[in-house]
Amino acid sequence: MFNIRRGAALTLLAGSVVLGSCSAAVTIPTVVCVGEATTYLDWLNGDFKPDTAGTIADPGATTGDLLATVMSRGYITVSTDPDYAPQSSVKPDGTYEGFDIDVATEIATRLGVDVHWETPGWDAITAAGWQGRWDMSVGSMTITTPRKSILDFTQPYYYNPAFLAASTRSKVTKTSDLKFTLPSGATATTLPTDANCAEAIKAGRTEFDLWISSGPTIDAAIAAGTPMVKVGAPVFTEDLSVAFDKSGPDDAALLFKVDQIIGAMHTDGTLTELSKKWYDGADLTVAPAS
Amino acid sequence: MTSSVPVVPILAEIEAHQRRARLSFRLQSAGVWVGLAGALVFSLWVMGKIHPDFIGTWGPFILGGTWITVLVSASSILIATVLAVLGAIGRLSRNPLISGFAGLYVSLVRGTPLLVQIFFFFFVLPEFGVVLPAIPTGIVALSFNYGAYMTEIFRAGIQAVPIGQREAAESLGMPERLVMRRIVLPQAFRIVIPAIGNDFVAMIKDSALLSTIGVQELLWRAHTVGTRHFRTLETLLIAAAIYWVLTIVFSFFQERLERRMARGDR
Repeated sequence: MFNIRRGAALTLLAGSVVLGSCSAAVTIPTVVCVGEATTYLDWLNGDFKPDTAGTIADPGATTGDLLATVMSRGYITVSTDPDYAPQSSVKPDGTYEGFDIDVATEIATRLGVDVHWETPGWDAITAAGWQGRWDMSVGSMTITTPRKSILDFTQPYYYNPAFLAASTRSKVTKTSDLKFTLPSGATATTLPTDANCAEAIKAGRTEFDLWISSGPTIDAAIAAGTPMVKVGAPVFTEDLSVAFDKSGPDDAALLFKVDQIIGAMHTDGTLTELSKKWYDGADLTVAPAS
Repeated sequence: MTSSVPVVPILAEIEAHQRRARLSFRLQSAGVWVGLAGALVFSLWVMGKIHPDFIGTWGPFILGGTWITVLVSASSILIATVLAVLGAIGRLSRNPLISGFAGLYVSLVRGTPLLVQIFFFFFVLPEFGVVLPAIPTGIVALSFNYGAYMTEIFRAGIQAVPIGQREAAESLGMPERLVMRRIVLPQAFRIVIPAIGNDFVAMIKDSALLSTIGVQELLWRAHTVGTRHFRTLETLLIAAAIYWVLTIVFSFFQERLERRMARGDR
């Protein structure tokens, strides 16, 4: 009898401590969720080093390199992360759709080959060392100095503004509502991909209230019913390009060819058309004036 | 001697009655399962968390991942069994080099998480020149991992074969290798069949880890579709249900197999 009473008292005490700490956990307004291996994370860590593709030289006639392999094979393998609408998402029949998908398909068509798809995680794509599992990444990758040491980039095919988004329950609607300065005052937390952050907020998780991602991705999340709003002006704009693995087979010729194709797609309006199709009539393919 | 032919008619009646009672009990238990699961799904539907049209659109795509899950698990369990037999014989070998090697394999693989091994085969192995596509990598990782656990099971199975069997074979002049192949292993195999069946069922669920290297199996499909449309509850529910059904189906077959193999013992 005595032991049961003591046990019950201890349980009540422990339970009230747990419950008390639960209700005391208010949302911490300095935590920002970002996708792993994204430039948004770099920016929050003060590590964002945007770069340009530089001049891409014509290597002339080559043999036995990546271009030769792709042409003789008749298809090019492109990596995509189908968790990134409206850039890339999967359809019920297992094929993919999205802005990045259309751009990659067009590039392959102009090269004269078919396109095959691979779906590794984003962190595997940005880490290079693709080991020939796929040849090209058309995945809205930002050109940064660290990435340039392991990947080769073409000229940008579009430009994406990165925005801060805040959940409606945090009551943050303007940058001045934040109790800290971005990016130095923020604490970053990561989930495997950007979409997971919106997913968490929509499900009602309380670890974070803020999210940084690309404008169109945030718009898509809000349109799907995620309770959040965009806050303020873009925090930065990124140059997004097609990437090739430096450690793979010699890609100089393929890089040059694809770069030329992208230039042509800019000039003849294909990229603008695709942008308007996927981004609600907005043309994100012109470099922002800055 | 088994008496499948009843001596007195009343025994037949009693047996039939017992069989009917068992069947009726089983049906009632199944009914409770269906009722509980159905109640859960119904209440979720009433709460508005489940949308039949969404499930109708994406169900087939998610279901398509089942084939890959089963393929990967089946291939892996076969290779793992081969590794396990070799490993068990190695562990029981009197040669210190062989038994040490086998012991190291078992200890190392059982001592590291399966997920770590999957990443290892996918990201690290290519640095040594071995590049496999995602699905073969997954099969290699799963077989490698389960082979170690099954080595211990096979070792126990081999040791469980009565020593008299081996002694009788050796006294007949059978060479060691033939003793193992003809006498010990077949009997050991019968002993470990339940454990292999268990491991196959467990592997079906461990195959979900392959979604981390981009294999488009059940979980990858469910999670991708769910995240994209913000309907993870439904897609994960579908995936969980499919895994559950697969487990039930394969457990049923395993039970049948066990009963068949044990027939000679009755």
